[in-house]
Amino acid sequence: MNSLNDIQTQQPQGMSLSAFNACIERLINGEAMLQNQWVIAETSDMRLNRSGHCYTELIEKDAQGVTVAKVGAAIWANNYAKIYHKFHDATGQVLSTGMKVLVSVSATFHRLYGIKVIINDIDPSYTMGDMARQRQEIINRLTADGIIDMNRQLPWADVPQRVAIVSAAGAAGYGDFMNQLQGNAYGLQFYTCLFSAVMQGAQTVPTVLRALDRINSHLDRFDCVVIIRGGGATSDLNSFDSYELAATVAQFLLPVIVGIGHERDVTVLDYVAAMRVKTPTAAAEWIIQRGAAALGHLNELQDAVVGAVRDIVSQAKEHLAYFTSMIPATARRIIDTNSIKLDNYAGRIPLVANSLIGNQSNRLDRIGDRIGDSVTRALQREQQRLQALDDKATLLSPLNTLRRGYSLVRVGDSCVTTAHQLHPGDNITIQFATGAADATINHIDNQQ
Amino acid sequence: MEENNQMTYTQAVTELEQLVQKMQDPQCSIDNLTAYTKRSKELLDICRKKLTQADEQLKQILADIQKTDN
Repeated sequence: MNSLNDIQTQQPQGMSLSAFNACIERLINGEAMLQNQWVIAETSDMRLNRSGHCYTELIEKDAQGVTVAKVGAAIWANNYAKIYHKFHDATGQVLSTGMKVLVSVSATFHRLYGIKVIINDIDPSYTMGDMARQRQEIINRLTADGIIDMNRQLPWADVPQRVAIVSAAGAAGYGDFMNQLQGNAYGLQFYTCLFSAVMQGAQTVPTVLRALDRINSHLDRFDCVVIIRGGGATSDLNSFDSYELAATVAQFLLPVIVGIGHERDVTVLDYVAAMRVKTPTAAAEWIIQRGAAALGHLNELQDAVVGAVRDIVSQAKEHLAYFTSMIPATARRIIDTNSIKLDNYAGRIPLVANSLIGNQSNRLDRIGDRIGDSVTRALQREQQRLQALDDKATLLSPLNTLRRGYSLVRVGDSCVTTAHQLHPGDNITIQFATGAADATINHIDNQQ
Repeated sequence: MEENNQMTYTQAVTELEQLVQKMQDPQCSIDNLTAYTKRSKELLDICRKKLTQADEQLKQILADIQKTDN
């Protein structure tokens, strides 16, 4: 093969572009290193044309987001379906613009269309890893901001009956949600209000944020917010991995239920919302179950009321029956107890009486003895006194005075103690100790 | 009844729970039973009504919001 230098030497006058491009073509297309090479890039401006070929640009950005490499790429129609499904089956995502991809490419050069890389294969695990990394970065930031758990910590209404819905108006998911809610088997009433938003693509974040902002101005009208999307084909969920949206949901003042994906799809919203369910139908079912639980609780309370009434009445009856049955037994016991006491007392009376009588008898004896002594002493004293009086009487008796030589003069029966009582000629009787003599008064001397 | 009409579900169910607690208290007097039972029935009716009977006024308010905001 001729080198470029050889050609220039042989064609000093210049060569045709086609010949030049043919050289490039031979160089590039023949270079093994440029065939089936695994390349990390980001998709940009991806589009599918009518013939089924998919065109995109593969780009590389530096840390500041400035594009530092770019090349046009294509997935030929005959390979596109295989790559599309491989990627979708693994990631749940549609291969589209703005995705980090690991693709097997071959460089081709066409003398008319220039250089292009053909995407032969794709490794979805790289994209999944990259999405997970981006999601983790957002989660880390929400955690560092201290807001990741805020919505989950909000209290729920006992029954979230007033529901603000963020969804696309005509979406199958919205219809599923409404049908499920309104047709619930418990006859529960729910009050819904739709706040429309675009639920896929670039308009997702701004329209959902606008819907949340509108709900925010009617907070007291609602018990919770439901963000739902679903039905039809699975489409791009990347839009929901937005820090701004997640931060708004996390800090929203009503509990948020998110039902925007399927089993395998997880977005950042699932980490911040008060409740995450898989589908709109599941969101409706979760709300219905809250209502059903409330009805169940009411039934339990009703049973508790009935049970309490029954228990109290039954307990009162039992008390009455108990007291009724206790009265004879209690009376018998009281009688028995008192009977025994009486017997005890009766038994003790003779003992106590004997003891008391004995004591009193002794005391009487002692008193009797003391009385005898006292009487004897008193008699002796009286005898002595009488003797003394007798002696004194004897000593003072008129007879003894007469015996000593004195005489007693009487006029009639009256004793004469003074001469004035007498008059000359009076007959007097003079009484002596032994015998008496009558005399007549001759003279009276009244002088002392 | 005016007071009952103004009650929220949460207020009604809270009062009901407290009432049941009182009735389940061993010290609950049989003399209070009639009043407690009557009030329990009222509260149960209020709660069930809140859950299952449509509040047309609320429906209209939300319909107006939906019409205005979308």
